[in-house]
Amino acid sequence: MKVLKIHPEKCTGCLRCELACSYMQTGDYQPAKSVIRVSPFEGHTSYAPYTCTQCAEGWCMTACPVGAITISAVGAKDVQDDRCVGCKLCTIACPYGTMFYDPATRKAFKCNLCGGAPACAEACPTAAITYEDVETADWLGDFARERTARVLAEAR
Amino acid sequence: MARRHLIIGGGTAGMNAIRTIREEESERSTITLVSAEKPYSRMVLPYYLDRSIAESHVFTATARVLADWGTTTQLGKRATALDTKANVCTLDDGTKVEYDDCLIATGSSAVRAPVPGADGPGVHSFWTLDQARGVLAQIQPGSHVVMVGAGFIAFTILNSILSLGAKLTIVEVAPRILPRMIDDTGAGLVQTWLEQNGVAVRTGAKLTRIDDVKGRRRLKMAAGGDLVADVVIMATGIRTNLDWLKGSDVKINQGVVVDDHLRSSVPNVYAAGDVAEGRDLISQANAVHAIEPTAQEHGRIVGANMAGKDVRYRGSLIINIVEVCHLDVASFGAWDDAKAEAANGVKPDRPAYRKLLWRGDRLTGAIILGPSSDIWTSNDVGMLKGLVQSGVSLGPWKAHLKKNPFDIKPAFIATKTTSSLLPETILGRPSKAPGESPVAV
Repeated sequence: MKVLKIHPEKCTGCLRCELACSYMQTGDYQPAKSVIRVSPFEGHTSYAPYTCTQCAEGWCMTACPVGAITISAVGAKDVQDDRCVGCKLCTIACPYGTMFYDPATRKAFKCNLCGGAPACAEACPTAAITYEDVETADWLGDFARERTARVLAEAR
Repeated sequence: MARRHLIIGGGTAGMNAIRTIREEESERSTITLVSAEKPYSRMVLPYYLDRSIAESHVFTATARVLADWGTTTQLGKRATALDTKANVCTLDDGTKVEYDDCLIATGSSAVRAPVPGADGPGVHSFWTLDQARGVLAQIQPGSHVVMVGAGFIAFTILNSILSLGAKLTIVEVAPRILPRMIDDTGAGLVQTWLEQNGVAVRTGAKLTRIDDVKGRRRLKMAAGGDLVADVVIMATGIRTNLDWLKGSDVKINQGVVVDDHLRSSVPNVYAAGDVAEGRDLISQANAVHAIEPTAQEHGRIVGANMAGKDVRYRGSLIINIVEVCHLDVASFGAWDDAKAEAANGVKPDRPAYRKLLWRGDRLTGAIILGPSSDIWTSNDVGMLKGLVQSGVSLGPWKAHLKKNPFDIKPAFIATKTTSSLLPETILGRPSKAPGESPVAV
């Protein structure tokens, strides 16, 4: 299946992906409602977006007590709003921190790959987010390890 | 391979087992479900109580779905005896069901404080669908509800009671609330938050009896004045439903003792969910984890093994979350491990709290509190679960987190926790979506 591949070295931290995501998902330009989230590294000199990997287990999906999370036509784990009761079990089952909850709607929400046309990838001006037919992977681990050396040196 | 499966209990563990048998088996087997109640999800009863969902929404499998799954049902009946030599289970109406293998998933029941009047009118438990109906029928706007007990079960319905317009008082015999879910500091923050939101909390308060006074309930307290309530809810604990197994050969300790395949001491008898005493992921010791996620994982492991697969279970992780008045409260793993190294951070004005616990350089437990509208709370809730579940070696990040317990995300990403989690699945293959199970093999 096609997944969001992150190329962190290309990210400029412009946050367009967060705006595009929140607009597509909720109709509002509100980064707080975005399910892709950009993190700064090395004192805001590097950045990387982080979002759901659409993992094989689907911890959110198997945890849901009412079967409200299914697999969409494009292979994304997707919350069915008419089934979700807002119990938050998915938010503690997901070990990646990519299940969110909207107190206004009382529903869980997450990346659903925008039904096959991810707004974040379209909005990214530097192709730091691409939508490709590859195995999902840990796109940020090595990048973050290199770029957090100074933070860690300070902690010692 | 077993041809006749018997599932005793229609809760989360039982239903996940049935679905997984149908997903995994290579030849069609017969499945019999014995359940005192129609299958429904207890997790969602609070949302039925606040009327945000219809009663029909709570059911996890309708008669049609059970028929599609090829399940013979014995509903409205309870198992009363298990003869593991003859492979026969006896039900309370005298029916005898033969099996090749069976799953004990009879769950647990609510228990009430042993005081006079606890079984009187206007005193409720909130555990089963029937009990939820009873509470729903009694609470009116302006009702005074007294909740006896301040544990997780009580807290799951606080929001519902308040949203029905009732006035709420919580009475807890222990010196603090949520004793089995968070530590003293966290409990103090939650109690203050509740009081700021108009909930009266009386801790260290011993209930001695309940009297009926002109249609209302008077709760006699050992000290500090009595309470008068329209509705009393007893959330004073649960007890595993194991009495019916007395006289069977199945080894019971706190629960039915199971191995890493969820088999009991009798090889063709499995146990799952609240009644099972299986491996704890963190301590690797056996324990009863009476929580929904464990029932789900147990059920699926049993289903796969009943279908002839050989699936080992890594052990279950205690995880709990409850939201009260828009404050998220969650804990993971061995959050109460007195021998662990610990660090915490408090922002009392938000309120926000993190407590992190280590054995060596691995995170073995965590507590987190934060506003439910705060996206970083949700983020850290998941990542803390991931760090505890994966047990990644934190290396130099341990020192960073000790100084900065709110800075979870860089530690999670830079320790490549995602890499260690991605290959992990419960059944050794990608999970199927809820509607995807084969209805005929």
